[in-house]
Amino acid sequence: MTVVVIGLSHHSSPVVVRERFAFAEARIPAALQSLRDSGVALEAVILSTCNRVEVYAVTPLEPPDAFTALREFLAVSHDYRDPLTDEIYALSEPQSVEHLFKVASGLDSMVLGETEILGQLKKAYDLALKCGHTGSRLNKAFQRAFNVAKHIRTDTNIQRGSVSVGSVAVELAEKIFSHLSDRNVLIIGAGDTSEKTARALLSRGARSILVSNRSHDKAVALAAELGGRAVPFEDWSGEFANVDIVVSSTSAPHYVLDRVKLDPLMKLRRNRPLLLIDIAVPRDIEPEVNFLENVYLYNIDDLQSIAADYLKQRHQEVARCEKIIHEKAQALLSHYGSPPGNPHPRAAFNPQ
Amino acid sequence: MIYSVFLWRKGFRRDNHVTYLLLLLAFGLHTSAMALRGFSLNHCPVTNLYEATIFVLWTIVALYLLVGVWSRLRFLGAFASPWLFAIGVFALMPSLDATHNPRPELPVAWTSLHAALMSLSYGAFGLSSVAALMYLTQERNLKFHKLQAIFSLMPPIQRLEAAVGRLLLSGFILLTLGLATGVVDLAHINNPQTYRGDLKIVWSALVWLLYLGLVVMRWRFSQGGRRFALGAIGSFVFVLLTFWGTNVLSPLHNP
Repeated sequence: MTVVVIGLSHHSSPVVVRERFAFAEARIPAALQSLRDSGVALEAVILSTCNRVEVYAVTPLEPPDAFTALREFLAVSHDYRDPLTDEIYALSEPQSVEHLFKVASGLDSMVLGETEILGQLKKAYDLALKCGHTGSRLNKAFQRAFNVAKHIRTDTNIQRGSVSVGSVAVELAEKIFSHLSDRNVLIIGAGDTSEKTARALLSRGARSILVSNRSHDKAVALAAELGGRAVPFEDWSGEFANVDIVVSSTSAPHYVLDRVKLDPLMKLRRNRPLLLIDIAVPRDIEPEVNFLENVYLYNIDDLQSIAADYLKQRHQEVARCEKIIHEKAQALLSHYGSPPGNPHPRAAFNPQ
Repeated sequence: MIYSVFLWRKGFRRDNHVTYLLLLLAFGLHTSAMALRGFSLNHCPVTNLYEATIFVLWTIVALYLLVGVWSRLRFLGAFASPWLFAIGVFALMPSLDATHNPRPELPVAWTSLHAALMSLSYGAFGLSSVAALMYLTQERNLKFHKLQAIFSLMPPIQRLEAAVGRLLLSGFILLTLGLATGVVDLAHINNPQTYRGDLKIVWSALVWLLYLGLVVMRWRFSQGGRRFALGAIGSFVFVLLTFWGTNVLSPLHNP
């Protein structure tokens, strides 16, 4: 008996193909049942997310036969008749187990090291477990995968740092202010990125949100959505004495805030630090304001460069993570009693 | 100190428990050595420049070990250890460890209390200047968008600013108490002419005024941030550069 995996992911196929193979959650128990009834799999778990569709199975067949049968199962289940080349991948032990560990750890994800996939994998496993489609082999493999993901998260830097503009802004705020819970945020310009940044700050406990926009109705709508207060566009500078973080994203062709305007406002703030996040292009805030004491200005390029560096740092950790995964997979397989190595590590199907 | 250099080079991305443990070990040895010397002299070992310097170092490390219970502030050790090392090497100069007995007319308990409180206050000022240095480093990194600002495990600058202020205020209170016990000590000297115009007394009053100015600047005029941090560092550097000289030139403290 061997643990095998067959599937498609963002690495192997475009969304137009992936969406054809996606399983709705309600259909998964029936699909697992039919897979087991066919005799191809003794145990099975189906993982279906926006970035991947994968079937993990314990099969009594030889891997090449199991791959053919599983590919047929995928095609028939979705009534897929178009030709396929490298879109579907298939792995047997030990690569199948290593792949499962990589997926759980976010190493195979589009955003390297992201954690959402672990929750999705747990949900897929719980569904199969609840319906009685897993046995000792897959139970051990999945439980070990969750442990490996935890180990990698705590012992490596693969999940460290923010890779989106909103979360980098939050990290910057946390490097300046002792607590975000007593900080007030002012949004100037009700754009999409500023909304996301505001939501990220709110999720970390920011006390209140003020929204100011040229179209006041839009400001009122966004403020209501964020649980904040709308401020008329002409009056936003009057709020400066009480705000700590400003996110600006207007479409103004000139600076909305310059040094001459900010200098007297800083005196009203009694020298408390002020974080300015300018995500507008062209920029809303004059770069010279950064020379004022207690003012910290970051524009979109600064935020993106930090996010890119975090991603680079994550990529540097991949080799360390893969080593851990390889060792853990070998330990699990020796527990199963499988021989190390495999004559059929990976296959791509050509159904023609 | 070598481990601190390693942490600097790594951009403070590693937890600092190694520095903390090394300083804890050094503190244990230092305390034993000071206790042995104290028992052999039968009073607090702060009677000459060597002992006073060593006592100030001991105080800085003791305060650091207390503050370092909060993991993020543990990085203070990495900033403090080069200073500690340099001052420790300076204290080993043989001429600083001159033997002289305490003045017979002064009560030993008050003199020891005065010396201990003064040393504790300089220790607090020393650690405050270390926190200020850490603040300036992090503040500069944030201003100039250095990636180290965000990647390091250092605390937020507002927390560092609060640490600078609290340590400086503690030092000021200890300094005030130390000077008050010094005044009680002076009352035991029969001839006031012997200490009138003593350089160390004038210098101590100047240091007290300097720190009073910083306390007023911080709590009366809300002057925090960069200027306050520079003030904390500048004041301690002044103390470091003039402490030994004024001590040597004071007949009261260097009989």
